[in-house]
Amino acid sequence: MSVYSFYIFDRHTECIYSKRFTQAPPPAATKSSSALSNGAVSASLRRANKDSDDAKLVFGTIFSLRRMCKQLGGADDQFLSYRTGEYKLHYFETPTQLRLVMLTSPQVGNMRTVLHQIWSTLFVEYVVKSPLAPTEHKGGKGVGNELFEGGLERFMEVVFRPQPQ
Amino acid sequence: MVVFALLIINKSGGLIYTRTLSPGLQKLDSNDYLILAGTFHGIHAISRSINPAPPPPAPQNPSASNANLPAPAPSSTAGNPTRKTRHTTGIESLESSHFRLTCFATPTGLKFLLFTSPEQPNADVVVRRCYELFGDFVMKNPFYSLEMPVRVEKFERAIGQYLVRP
Repeated sequence: MSVYSFYIFDRHTECIYSKRFTQAPPPAATKSSSALSNGAVSASLRRANKDSDDAKLVFGTIFSLRRMCKQLGGADDQFLSYRTGEYKLHYFETPTQLRLVMLTSPQVGNMRTVLHQIWSTLFVEYVVKSPLAPTEHKGGKGVGNELFEGGLERFMEVVFRPQPQ
Repeated sequence: MVVFALLIINKSGGLIYTRTLSPGLQKLDSNDYLILAGTFHGIHAISRSINPAPPPPAPQNPSASNANLPAPAPSSTAGNPTRKTRHTTGIESLESSHFRLTCFATPTGLKFLLFTSPEQPNADVVVRRCYELFGDFVMKNPFYSLEMPVRVEKFERAIGQYLVRP
């Protein structure tokens, strides 16, 4: 029962917030054999690239799945979540086309109310209502403020009971 | 048992079998199904690579207190500590408000997509039975060419008998 990562995408298809709660899995064996010789600097660079690539892949996946669900189930059909053997992806979209995506362990139940709560009590309160945050969060500007981050950490700790490391 | 549709996708992402059984999904023509199958094939591959789960600990440390583990990896890597690559699976089930999609990926690269209503509890049992019927009537048919569209009458009849409840 744990959360792995959390993303927020805005209506301009940009990732305005991303947070990893665990260490990412190491790259596949075929890629790491050449990278091992380069040392720690390029490892962190690769990690940063991989994070932004992951966000783009996640967005592409949810965009295509949402379109597929609308095509199959009708215009009012909502894509809710999908599960693989290793993780479960939960999706919540607000009427302003703000998309919240959370990746958790596969046994977790329905997270729709949790995502709705994150949006209403954390994002709206600390980001939308902040007078210093711009209306359009280009490049994630204005989203990662202290109140929002702190609130999100506390919220995740409450929802997913802390695991002994 | 309400099953809306069964789709079978081959190794390269091409659709080889479509059958809509009960009404419940939107009416799509055959082109739309082909596009959908190709799209899903791509998404299935991407969902394997965005796996965020941390790797399980090495087999010689059976720490019971580490409840942070993802679901255990299949036994192909568990008994072999020298193996570096992890076996990741793609999308197994997808929930939407009107249907649930269960995807069974066979070891040979076929994907069986089963569209059921969201309350249907045993979709994975059903899809495995469809795989068995596929093996019996299509694979064992000497006139069936691999990766080609499925036009086997016995298979159609068996699927109809199994998935359509009168």
